Amino acid sequence: MIKISNLNKEFLQGQEKTQVLKGVDLDVREGEFVAIMGPSGSGKSTLLQLLGGLDIPTKGDILINQSYLNNMTEKERTIFRRKYIGFIFQNYQLLPTLTVEENIAFPLHADGNLTKERNQQILELLDSVGLNGLGRKRANLLSGGQQQRVAIARALVNNPSVLLADEPTGNLDRNKAEEILGLISRFNRENNQTIIMVTHDIFAAGFADRIILFKDGVIDQVISRKDDDYAEYVANFMA
Amino acid sequence: MSVKYGILTLLVLKNNHGYELKIELESLLGIKGKVNPGQIYTTLDRLIRDQLVLSVGMDDQERKLYKINTEGKNELENWLLEPVPYHSTRDDFHFKWSCARKINFEQEKKMLDQQKAMIMKDVMELTKLKTEFLLQGDENRYLLITGTLLRLEADLNWINQVENRNRS
Repeated sequence: MIKISNLNKEFLQGQEKTQVLKGVDLDVREGEFVAIMGPSGSGKSTLLQLLGGLDIPTKGDILINQSYLNNMTEKERTIFRRKYIGFIFQNYQLLPTLTVEENIAFPLHADGNLTKERNQQILELLDSVGLNGLGRKRANLLSGGQQQRVAIARALVNNPSVLLADEPTGNLDRNKAEEILGLISRFNRENNQTIIMVTHDIFAAGFADRIILFKDGVIDQVISRKDDDYAEYVANFMA
Repeated sequence: MSVKYGILTLLVLKNNHGYELKIELESLLGIKGKVNPGQIYTTLDRLIRDQLVLSVGMDDQERKLYKINTEGKNELENWLLEPVPYHSTRDDFHFKWSCARKINFEQEKKMLDQQKAMIMKDVMELTKLKTEFLLQGDENRYLLITGTLLRLEADLNWINQVENRNRS
């Protein structure tokens, strides 16, 4: 469960202060898939950075799994991040000269515990993201869609409770995007991982349980799917 | 398209007579417009019966003048603020929005926000259904829903475009 209260973030550019987030309140249930949409500069990516502990808020609280991220030291945040948070980025951010397996295992090296069981786990992850047999291939030799699959496997290797995705399908065509989103939704359902995804694309946001619309640093609208009558109504219409 | 709400929109602008209402309504409908005069008069009769419009005498050319009352305005505003579901063929959001623009409707933002929310809700539902059909191997339904989703995406882009232009 994530609880964000009165979150503010200011950036200083020269003498000028820019307020990117202006008092955001948001609760996300465990296992929920939330999409965050809004125009460029509305604060959505900043929110993701704060949630991942990559930056700290100017004011306000971020509570994830009963820990206040904003009260931690940088070192504590790094440890917390490694343990509980997985990241997926638009441009994959793989290490190009390492193999697929090495990329997936990368977050584990930081803990220094690459055991036999861990190796087995990496093979299973490769299988579950549909990259069976490609583990020894160098990451930069893969297609965009395959690279994003590697990035998903890497994000999941620590079995994080929260997955943060910043435009995960922004560089992919529709068919590849659909495969990646299908994969993310599957992990959301099967592992009960909480997912927060920033996207410009309504096609991607459609996979979520809830869409949060940002505008000028505040939440402008919240659109939920959880309405069984409505679901039935649409299903009947399409039947 | 709804003749009823088109007439109410035009009567908000000024009291008017049937012939001019027909001409104005056709212009409001844009390229789709051709309205049969009989439809105008039967609709006006019904609006009077339902006490949304009053007949207020004749103009200088002996043409019957009609006037919208408070109930009529409320009826129009309720319709303007009701989002249009994607599968609705009877009503069309573009027509509704044209009516709103015609009377400089002050709640246009609310109208657009609600329509946007409805589209997004539809997109979330249809995406879920689409995924189910894909898993069941029902290629035809999967593709049909994909088509509907693409149309909804276009509608949403259009609303964003309107909002961006309203802001600047």
